[in-house]
Amino acid sequence: MKKSLVMAVILVLSMALAACGKESNSAGKPDADFPKKPITLIVPWSAGGGTDTGARLLQPYLEDELGVTVNVVNKTGGGGWVGWNELANAKPDGYTIGLANSPHIITGYMNPALKRDKNLDDFIGLGMHVIDPDILAIRKDEKRFSTTEELVEYAKDHKLTVTATGEGTDEHLVILSFNKKYGTQFEAVHFDGAAESRAAVLGGHVDILIANAGEVLSLYKDKEIKVLGVASSKRSQFMEDVPTFEESGFEIYQESSRGLIAPKGLDSEVLAKLQEALEKAVNNEEHIQKMADLGYGVNYENGDDYMTVLKKDEEAVIDLKGLLGWE
Amino acid sequence: MDTSIILNILENLFTVQTFIALFIGVVGGIIIGALPGLSSTMAVALLVPITFGMEPVAGLVMLTAIYTSATYGGSLASILLHTPGTPASAATALDGYQLTQRGMAAKAIGISTVSSMIGGFISGVALLFLAPPLAKLSLMFSAPEYFLLAIFGLTIIGSLSGASMVKGLASGVLGLLIGTIGIDILTGFPRYTFGSVSLESGISLVPALIGLFSLSQVFMMLEKKKGPKKEVVEQKLGKLLPERADMKKTLPTILRSSGLGVLVGILPGAGGDVGSWVGYNEAKRFSKNKHEFGKGSIEGIAGSEAANNAVTGGALIPLMTLGIPGSSTTAVLLGGLMIQGLVPGNELFTVNGHISYAVIIGFIVANILMGIVGLFGAKYFIKALKVPPNILITIIIILCILGSYAINNSMFDVYMMLFFGVLGYLMRKTGFSTAPVILGMILGPIAEKGLGQSMIMGQGHLVSFFFQRPISIVFMILILLALLSPFFLKMMQKKRATV
Repeated sequence: MKKSLVMAVILVLSMALAACGKESNSAGKPDADFPKKPITLIVPWSAGGGTDTGARLLQPYLEDELGVTVNVVNKTGGGGWVGWNELANAKPDGYTIGLANSPHIITGYMNPALKRDKNLDDFIGLGMHVIDPDILAIRKDEKRFSTTEELVEYAKDHKLTVTATGEGTDEHLVILSFNKKYGTQFEAVHFDGAAESRAAVLGGHVDILIANAGEVLSLYKDKEIKVLGVASSKRSQFMEDVPTFEESGFEIYQESSRGLIAPKGLDSEVLAKLQEALEKAVNNEEHIQKMADLGYGVNYENGDDYMTVLKKDEEAVIDLKGLLGWE
Repeated sequence: MDTSIILNILENLFTVQTFIALFIGVVGGIIIGALPGLSSTMAVALLVPITFGMEPVAGLVMLTAIYTSATYGGSLASILLHTPGTPASAATALDGYQLTQRGMAAKAIGISTVSSMIGGFISGVALLFLAPPLAKLSLMFSAPEYFLLAIFGLTIIGSLSGASMVKGLASGVLGLLIGTIGIDILTGFPRYTFGSVSLESGISLVPALIGLFSLSQVFMMLEKKKGPKKEVVEQKLGKLLPERADMKKTLPTILRSSGLGVLVGILPGAGGDVGSWVGYNEAKRFSKNKHEFGKGSIEGIAGSEAANNAVTGGALIPLMTLGIPGSSTTAVLLGGLMIQGLVPGNELFTVNGHISYAVIIGFIVANILMGIVGLFGAKYFIKALKVPPNILITIIIILCILGSYAINNSMFDVYMMLFFGVLGYLMRKTGFSTAPVILGMILGPIAEKGLGQSMIMGQGHLVSFFFQRPISIVFMILILLALLSPFFLKMMQKKRATV
C-alpha cells in the first residue's frame, strides 16, 4: 500500500517536472538584461586538443565582451556528437552555447549507420571563429614526385596510401575528391588523430600526409615535410610559398572550420547580444595575434554567413555520399 | 651549448615561482594520483588553464611534475586499498595489496617510491640527452608493430590467470570483446552501441577500471564488515629507505623496467597503462622467484612502478621534438605548451631552448623531490588503513563516482562504473581475475586498429609486409618465445626428473 503510494507520488512529480522542462524548452523567455549569470560553452572534444585550445584562447575575450564568466565544459565522445546532442537539447536561453567543427558535425549525421535525429537545422549560428584548410604533404626525401601535378600523374597508375582520421573526416573527403575527380588511386589509412598521422608519414609508413595546415606548421617550418598544396581558394597565411590546388589546376577545396552555435529557438535579442559579443571578441587584435602564433587562422563570419558555410559543407558531403557508402 | 645559455637556463629554473610550482606539482600530483578515479591526465587537464597566467617555465614544470607524481601516487591507493589511483598502477595492485594484507604496506610503498623515482629520473635523463635518436626510433614503429606489441602484451594474460588458466583467458576475452564496442574508425561503423551516442566512442577505460578494482573492493570490504570479527592487520613500520637486501633483489628489475618504460613511452600509441603491464610481465619472466608474483612480490611492484614513471619522460620525447604526444596525458600537455606559445619542434630546443631545457631539468628535479616526499610521507599514507572502514568505504564510493563522472563530464560513465563494479565483484567471488579484463580493454583496440591499418598499408601483401619490417620480426620472435617457453621449461624439467 505504502509503496504504491510513494510510487504514484514519484510518477506524478516526475511527469510534472518533465512537462515543466518541455514548456521552458520551447519558449526561451525574452531576457532584457541578458546575460546575468555564467555562460556554459560546450566543447565536444577533450581538454588540451586543438579545438579546446582555440576555445580557451577565445574565452577571456568573450568574457570581456559579455561581462560574465564563460565556462568551457568538455563533453567528449561520439565524434563530437555527445556534446552537440547535449547542446541541441539544452534550454535555448543563451546560457548554453557550443563549439562546432565542420565537417565533423555534418558527417556525424550523414552517416546513416549512426541513425542521428538531429542535424544543422537544430542549431543557430553565432559566428565563425577559425578556418584551417587541409594541406597535402610528402616526406622531405620523397623521390617519386615533388609537385601536386607529378603526384596526381603518378597516383593514376600506382596505389598510394594517405593518412586520414576516420570515415568522412575532412582529410578523407580530400582523398575521395581526388579519386573521384582525377582518377587517383589514393587509399585512406585512418589514424586516431593528426599526431599519429604525422608519425606514420615521418616514419615512412604511409606515403602521403593530409592534415590541417595548423597541425603541420612546425614540421613545415623545420622542413621535416614538404607541403605540396593547400585545399583552399587562397594561399595559407602561414605557408605563403605553397600553391593552392587551384593554382596547380585541381579543383579541390576542403577546410575544417570552427565556430560557435546555439540551440535553435533563441530569443532574437539574446541572439543579437551573443553575436555582437562574439564578433568583437573574435576580431580583437590581440586575440588574432595569439591564435596566429599557434597556427590558427582567425576568420570571422557572422552567424548567418557561418550557417551558409556549413550548408555548403553539407552539400559537399552529399556529393561524396556514394564514395562513402552512405546511400 | 656555451656557458651563457646554461646560466640562462639555471636563471629560469631557480626562481621562487618555479620552486613553489614544482612543490605544488609534486605534492598535488601525489594526492590526485592517489585518489581512485582522478588520473594524471585529468590532473594535467584541470591545471592547463591555470598555467596560462604563469611564467612558462614555472607552469610547465608544474604540469610535468604533476604528470610523474600522479603516476607514482596511483600506486599508493593500489597498494593500500586495492583501488588503483590511475590506470597505470593497476598492475601494482596485484602484489602491493597482498603485502598490505600481510602487514608489509610500508615495505611495498618504499619499493614503489624508490622504483618510481629511479624510473622517472632515468626517463628524464633520456629526455635530456637522447631525445633526438629516441624520437627517430619511435618513428620506426607503425601499425604492424603496434599490432604485434599488443599481441605480445596479451601473452601476459597467461601469467595473470593464477589458479585457473581457463578463467584467466575467459576474463581476457571478455576484455577484448568490451574493447570492440564503439565506432570502428576504419569503417565508421558503430558496433554494439545500441543507438547510444555515449557508447560510440567505446567504454572509457577509467570508469571500467574504477568499477572492476575499486568499487568491487568496496563490496568486498562491506562483506567483511558483516563477518564474524574484523581483524586489523598490524602494519610493520620499517625504515624510510627499503632494506639493502630488497634493493639488491629489485634493482635489476627497476633498471629493466625503466628502459622498457622509456621505450613504451616514446610510442605515440601506448602510454603508462601499457608500460606498467609490460614492466610487470618482464619482471616476472626474468625473476628467479616467479611463484611469488601475485602473492606479494616486491619485484612485481618494482616492475610496474619503475616502468610507468619511466613512460612519463619517454612520452615527453616525441612530444617536444615532433609535437607527437607519446601518451594521453602528454596530449593534454601539448595544449599547455601551445597556450604558452611554445610550438614543439626544433624551435623548442633552439629559439626557446632556455625554457625547454629548464623544464626538462625541472622534470628531473621533480622526480627526485617526488621520491623524497614519498619516503617521508609513507608512514602517514599508511594511516589511511586506520580509518574506520565505514568512513573509508564512504570516501572511496564518493571518489569512484566523482572520478568516473569527471573523465568525460558524463553521468553515463558513472552508470558504467557501477555496472563494472558489480561485474568485478561477481568475477572475484567466482574466482575470475579482473586484471585480464583491463588488459584486454587496453590492448584489444590497439591490436585491432594496428591490424586494420597494416592491411591497407600492406596493399594486399600482408604477410610479406610484416616480414619486411625488422622490428616486426623481433616482436614475432618475442611472441613465439613467450608462448613456447613454458612448454620447453616443462619438457626440460621432466627430462631432469627422469634422469
